[in-house]
Amino acid sequence: MAFCDLPPVTVIDDKAGMTYILGETFAVYNATPEPPVVYDWNSVKFVSVTRKEFKITAGSRTFAFRTGLFKSIDETLRAIAIIEVRQRDYGFDYVHERRMFPLKSMYREMSAGKECYIGEGTLDEGETAASFITLLNFKLMKFLWLVAFLIMFVTAAILHWKIGLTRDNVLYFIPISIASGGIIALLVYIITHIVARIRFKQLRDADMAASGMITFVVCRAGFAACASCVYESRDLIPWSEMDYFVESDKMFIIYKNNAPAAYIPKKAFEKKTVNSVADIIALSLEQR
Amino acid sequence: MGDLKSETLSFEDKSVTLVSVKNGEAAIGVCSAGYTGMGGTGAVSKVFFIGGEAIMNIACPNHNHKQSSKLMCFSPGYKGYDQKIYNVLNVCFSRLVAGEPAFAALKDLLNLLQDGVYTLYVSDYYPTDGAGNFFWGAYNVSHEVHGTADRNRVIGNSVYKPCFLIPSQPLDYYTSKMKVQADERVKGRDIQGIAYHISGFHSILLKGHHGAVACAEADIPFRCLVIEKVCEPYTDPVVLPDPDPVPAPTAEEEAAAESDEAQVQQQAQVPQTAAQPITPPVFVPEGITGFRSASLKLPIETIPKEMLKLILEGRSEYKPRQFNALLAKMNAPRRKAVSNNVLPLTVLEKAEKMPDVEMLESAFAISSISDEQLNCLLAGDVECNGEVIVSPNFYQSIVTACNYLQFTDPKRFVDFTIAIMDNPELSATHEYVSSRALCFGSNKKLFRFFSDALASGDAKYDKILPAANKFASRYKEK
Repeated sequence: MAFCDLPPVTVIDDKAGMTYILGETFAVYNATPEPPVVYDWNSVKFVSVTRKEFKITAGSRTFAFRTGLFKSIDETLRAIAIIEVRQRDYGFDYVHERRMFPLKSMYREMSAGKECYIGEGTLDEGETAASFITLLNFKLMKFLWLVAFLIMFVTAAILHWKIGLTRDNVLYFIPISIASGGIIALLVYIITHIVARIRFKQLRDADMAASGMITFVVCRAGFAACASCVYESRDLIPWSEMDYFVESDKMFIIYKNNAPAAYIPKKAFEKKTVNSVADIIALSLEQR
Repeated sequence: MGDLKSETLSFEDKSVTLVSVKNGEAAIGVCSAGYTGMGGTGAVSKVFFIGGEAIMNIACPNHNHKQSSKLMCFSPGYKGYDQKIYNVLNVCFSRLVAGEPAFAALKDLLNLLQDGVYTLYVSDYYPTDGAGNFFWGAYNVSHEVHGTADRNRVIGNSVYKPCFLIPSQPLDYYTSKMKVQADERVKGRDIQGIAYHISGFHSILLKGHHGAVACAEADIPFRCLVIEKVCEPYTDPVVLPDPDPVPAPTAEEEAAAESDEAQVQQQAQVPQTAAQPITPPVFVPEGITGFRSASLKLPIETIPKEMLKLILEGRSEYKPRQFNALLAKMNAPRRKAVSNNVLPLTVLEKAEKMPDVEMLESAFAISSISDEQLNCLLAGDVECNGEVIVSPNFYQSIVTACNYLQFTDPKRFVDFTIAIMDNPELSATHEYVSSRALCFGSNKKLFRFFSDALASGDAKYDKILPAANKFASRYKEK
């Protein structure tokens, strides 16, 4: 079982007089001196984790507490990891915000084997945004060419309709058409860049792990991209869980169900090992 | 030194010793070692370790399903655990034998455990693997050990006493010289060993291997002090008392009701459906009932506050600091596959006759079975007086009843098995029952029955003939 050694997390809500312990069970201490109500994860029906609060429905009751009540971001990430591991085992409904890294429920504890590359680092905002944009370019390039050509022809047509195309003015019409096509395409390109950056920021803000240190592991058996404070050395996602990957100049982006599941920056690894890492990923997944 | 505390609880007419270990050294325990075979097989592997030595490799099939028996094998990289732990075990055992209370005697040993709450108790163990093999040397090859599932299918949610052993030393450590010394020592001891419960019916013997050989040979009960971790949550549904019980009718009322009923039945045009059996209302409480181990169920309200917090804020098992060294030893090639040391033949023979897992399962699955219920089973019914005797499955009922009687009442067992084997309508169970009867190789009644069956040549005995032949030849040899 992956992440099986994570110590439980205690959350104390002084205002409500409640204490919650998330571990192998979910325990709730009330303000009264009575013993706590302890729920087996089997009786948990629904968990929602947002940047603002945790909501857990167990038995016939729903408990909610603010994320700010955790003593540190590490404890918050540990609590999320505990919930996700239990979700895999017990199958309760789990709602969460968008993630930059795979859910813990995808991991399995297994041997990494001999050929294993481990790196650690933060996810650089500029680099990741640039990768976002590279991906966007990858998708938009044909569309932008199409927009440019269309605008060129439309501009030429409008000029012809309004002014009329003659031998004298044709040398003016062509550069005007090309320039207008290029300018419009550039505007579209700039707008999409802004949108991409905004979307990246939203995604980064939604995933609490994105701001901390991340451990990256790539080996023949699988890979890992997980907050260092919760990572245990043998937890990996088998390559078979993923669909394909895209390589930009700064990072590898691994996809599942046509959505990015993990961002692995090249700079997290030693320079001399980046090619080996790329080889393992290319051998394990289809490159697009 | 870790923080050790002991509490003695009294509830449900019994006394329980609980021990909490905080900041323990985690030098003895079980931890997960991930999926075997790159995760493709679905078998999760675990390891029982002592210090830096991997002792027992445990494969938990079906993604560690609680009802699946585990595959066990003595760890091939074992080289002997360090002197400090060896000394601690010796000192603790000496104190225990000298009559010190369990907690005081085992303090140093408890300090070596993983954090958590444990129960200490004394229990008799059969020095076998639960399948008739003497425990020492029975785990050289990885195999499924019946009875090691965390939740027993037959026993269900009830508690049971683990009673089979797993060695913590390879058979290489057996010497006849030590055994001779143990022969003398076991006679004067109340407690013969220290065991750590590992899974299901099985515990690892930490101390007392030679004593187990001596006890088995001399027919002395092998009594162990057992350390058992209490960490598994359990939920017991509560059967509510009937809020409005119907008063029992008087004789006059009954007579009046009978005459009324007769009239109604005569007048009725539409046939009435049979009355549904009244089931007592069951209430499933909010949250779990408590925490349990194999032999003990502790409701939450009975657990001392500090200990409850330790359970809630703790983990049932976790990796020790020396985990990487353990991993290397788990997968090391075996240095010596088979020991040259030979256990006494009488011990091996006696181990074969000791109760096995199936018997113990049945013994813990039912609390009693009356002669009336046995007669109902012999008549092919699974119910007696409207109540299911053992299980709605007839074959399972016979198997459980047989095993229960074999363990608790051998005389009734012999009568019951003969009655079954004599009944041609129960031929589906003949093969199993006759194989169980082989354990009573010196029983005159069974010998007479098997001899008659062999002599008669009756077709109804076809399924018991192989067992009958074996029984008769063994009996004559003796």
